[in-house]
Amino acid sequence: MAKIDELKEEARKLLQEGKVKYIIGYTTGTDGWSAVPAFIRTAEEVDRIVWDPTCVHNLTKFLVDEKRRKSRSRKPDTRPVGLFVKGCDSRAVVVLLQEKFINRGDVYLLGVSCEKAGVIDDRKLAQKLKGKKPMKVELGDNGRIVISTPEGTLEVPAEELLADRCLECRANFPVVFDVLAGDKVKRAVEKPYGSLEKIEKLTAEERFKFWKEQLDKCIRCYACRSVCPMCYCDECVVDSVNLSVTADTSAEEKAQRIKWLQRSAESSENFVYHFVRAIHLGGRCIDCGECERACPLDIPLRFLNKKLEKEASELFGYEAGFDAELPALIACFRDEDPQDFIR
Amino acid sequence: MAEEFEPRIVAFLCKWCSSAGCDLAGVSRMEYPPNVVPIQVMCSGSVSPLYIFSAFNKGADGVLVSGCHPGDCHYIKGNYYARRRLNLVKKLLEYVGLEPERFQMSWVSAAEGTKYTQIIKDFVKELKPLGPQTKLRRDR
Repeated sequence: MAKIDELKEEARKLLQEGKVKYIIGYTTGTDGWSAVPAFIRTAEEVDRIVWDPTCVHNLTKFLVDEKRRKSRSRKPDTRPVGLFVKGCDSRAVVVLLQEKFINRGDVYLLGVSCEKAGVIDDRKLAQKLKGKKPMKVELGDNGRIVISTPEGTLEVPAEELLADRCLECRANFPVVFDVLAGDKVKRAVEKPYGSLEKIEKLTAEERFKFWKEQLDKCIRCYACRSVCPMCYCDECVVDSVNLSVTADTSAEEKAQRIKWLQRSAESSENFVYHFVRAIHLGGRCIDCGECERACPLDIPLRFLNKKLEKEASELFGYEAGFDAELPALIACFRDEDPQDFIR
Repeated sequence: MAEEFEPRIVAFLCKWCSSAGCDLAGVSRMEYPPNVVPIQVMCSGSVSPLYIFSAFNKGADGVLVSGCHPGDCHYIKGNYYARRRLNLVKKLLEYVGLEPERFQMSWVSAAEGTKYTQIIKDFVKELKPLGPQTKLRRDR
């Protein structure tokens, strides 16, 4: 795993010279071992920053909040925000740049390469530890993950603990950054969409059964929407009842509004919600896995997004988050786009 | 005798080509099944995937989106955008287990009344054996 001492030094310098407003990174949470997002405002605080396999969060989401805050304040502080990015997070930044949601000057990117590892999956770790409490999770020298527990240390091959998305990651180092820690080593991935196979090989009926079972669980807490760096619409179609309701919107007007879907957590409505989310993320999702991690009911949302990622790459040769200069997937077309499904 | 299942199809037809094609079929008194609810939209490119999901949600047995032939779009490139976007929608619907026949797309020009009737005839014929669409339909 990359050493971030140089990055910390850079961060300290940036804060001392006042070049950035603040820096968003990771620090150790109150449980003593897992990383949580940290807002670092002074040079003295820089020592709190950590980098280990528990840094799962995609901090790019905070740029969306930052933009809102900036637009609300009368005299905005226009200095950039320092941001720690992994490979996947940096691709989220690229998508935001591509959509002109942020400018390159709004962020100062402190890139960290995952090198040959990635981040761990909490659920896999919990299974491995069988109730023991971890004290520290680190990456060992030999590509194994070292977990210290009160009962002693445990060494596990990284593949057993890494999040599924990390095992299928094709960009394990940042594509855009101002300073970088670690080496740009590309990991060979045999099947970038391997995890989809077990669903794709089912029959249509079985697939429907699978998805109905999964989406029936959804309680519509919208955690997946809240945590997603790409879900930055001010008004979501799901909340369409809120759309510009002012003091003088009459009851009749409200009743006439189109309700594309109900808010109730029924399977038919959940299907529409998750379809809409999947389609809105088509060609934009960079597979940071945050939706799936945030889901309190363990719905495998990644499989929906990954499927569209796969289709985008197979049908249109498009991969999200690699080039901020390219137009977005559904904002462009080619004459030779496939149309065998059209009569 | 049990009544035969009559599918309900929601058709989003673009104003400049497909809608005119549908109209031509009508004024030429061509016969085709009355299972279609045509909805005129300004361009096939203006059909949001949400329209399609919502149609299924509200009980459509099949959804058709029809626009001008590539190169003929009134807005120059709307149908190209539709082609790309709706291809993803089709893949997504198939992926969650909806029968692929239920969502179709076609190019129908203003002169192709016959093609339009043929598409509807084929669509209805394909939908009949599938029965009502219950997978994505709201219960109430």
